[in-house]
Amino acid sequence: MSKSDLSPKTLKPIAQGRSAHYVMAGIGVAAMLALLSVVLPLAVQGLPRLNMDFLFKPPRELGGGGIGPEILNTLIMVGLSQCISLPLAIIIAIYRVEYDHIRHLARWFDQGLQIVLSLPTMVIGLIVVDVAIVRWHWPISVESGILVLSLINWPFAVFLTVQVLQRIPDEWREASRALGASRWQTITRLILPVAWADIIELTGLTVARLMGETAALIYTAGLNVTSRFAFSAPGETVAVHLWYIRTEGLMPDADQVAAATGLVLLLLVIAVLWVSQKFAEWVKNANL
Amino acid sequence: MKIDKVMDRVTHTVFALFLVVWLSVAGIIVWGTWRFISHYGFLSPILSSRWNPLAGQFGLWPFILGSLTVTVLAVVIAFPGSLALSVLGSRILQGIWRRYFVRLLMVFVSVPSVLYGWWGLIVIVPWVRRLSGTSGYGMLSASVVLGLMILPTFSILSLEAIRQVPESYVEGSVGLGATEDQTLWRIILPAARPRLVQAALIAVARGLGETIAVQMVIGGQIGGPGLLHPAATLTTQLLTDLPFLPPGVPGHDVLDFMAFDLMVLMTIIVWLQMRIGSWRYE
Repeated sequence: MSKSDLSPKTLKPIAQGRSAHYVMAGIGVAAMLALLSVVLPLAVQGLPRLNMDFLFKPPRELGGGGIGPEILNTLIMVGLSQCISLPLAIIIAIYRVEYDHIRHLARWFDQGLQIVLSLPTMVIGLIVVDVAIVRWHWPISVESGILVLSLINWPFAVFLTVQVLQRIPDEWREASRALGASRWQTITRLILPVAWADIIELTGLTVARLMGETAALIYTAGLNVTSRFAFSAPGETVAVHLWYIRTEGLMPDADQVAAATGLVLLLLVIAVLWVSQKFAEWVKNANL
Repeated sequence: MKIDKVMDRVTHTVFALFLVVWLSVAGIIVWGTWRFISHYGFLSPILSSRWNPLAGQFGLWPFILGSLTVTVLAVVIAFPGSLALSVLGSRILQGIWRRYFVRLLMVFVSVPSVLYGWWGLIVIVPWVRRLSGTSGYGMLSASVVLGLMILPTFSILSLEAIRQVPESYVEGSVGLGATEDQTLWRIILPAARPRLVQAALIAVARGLGETIAVQMVIGGQIGGPGLLHPAATLTTQLLTDLPFLPPGVPGHDVLDFMAFDLMVLMTIIVWLQMRIGSWRYE
């Protein structure tokens, strides 16, 4: 018997009965390529147009303009609506998880939250048009847009934060209470420090979602911009601008402008996700 | 403690605000629906297909049918891809590859829907136009765009579903001499089935609620029957008709009724999800 008969080749597990896995891998790669095919033409068509002028100049119906005011509107509207809705959402999540006042109603609360969460954003836009713009006479403006975005974000952020808080083991809470800490001492010294990193990471998702919001903003924040920022002035965002160029706008260079606008939107979203992830990692390691 | 008392009060106030806001949102929809129903009836607008709101004809059937067709087709289109992606991400890729794969999927989940609509306009619509000789706008294009849009969400949720299957099931199966394919088909997927169905339902809810990506490629009128003619869904019709039916115009209530229909559909989906959540694998 020669040594080569015992070569590792004969001792390795045999790759049999894996054909379905290969098929799955093939389909999966194809699906991934299909997803990439959404992003790549955006980069190819949009990149030549992406320069300083485009990023800072106001748009022009006759072509050649930029999307400066739209970027500013997006950042301000998303930022302020996060400032309003995120603290409110965290408080609701604390009430749902840390207080047991609604223990027997928790099922109802969760179902209601799910329904509100899956309500089309267009419906929320309709409600805001009905109430804020028609009944309260708010203008079609940045502030109405902030109201819409806060309403859209609130249940979503509650849902994500509840998930984070529920992942913290109950024994920790019991230990804290047993050591004599009050409910809010437990929350501020134990629950929130543990939860911050995950909350920050998930907030990145909600910011990205608000940046891409289009349908609800068309009739509340409007389709045009003014040269100077004001809360009562129309506030078209980058996503709405892209929709407008592609469906109703008459610019001669619409194809290029749309691609470049989409590219800016995509880069904003990726930047938000990346920053929130890095920030979450930093918080996790910093032991605040 | 003093801080506890203060924070208790803050928490209760915010919770009351939450309830008031969302109950009044539901209330506004129901109230508008009530005004609509008391004028035009409940079933006849749903079953009629004459849509001419300025003349007082409110047939919603084409839009309901459009919503359901587009969503179901989109989920059917997305299903093989998302199953493959979830198997790829949970059973085939390992280590750092798996981590980057999941991260990439998360980026795609966050890609704004208007970008998928843009992609549909420059890629899918011309493609359908060339293949079929019609305008290219219609339910087929909308389903393809929507299918691709829900693919990342659907895959991430399915991936989570497969990951929840205990590793001991897999080891037991392989230990008994099953091949990897047999383990996948006979053990992993059946054990993950309730969560996979839940993932599909969330994908359905996302598809039903999607407005902008569908609106860009569906064409926006009631064309002929079939998938290749321009059509509309409940959400896209809400978007396009809001400027023609501002509050105060008699037909405005129909928008609330459409919102109510969407809310009912969502409630059914959520209820199914909760029911399926209590299934157990035997």
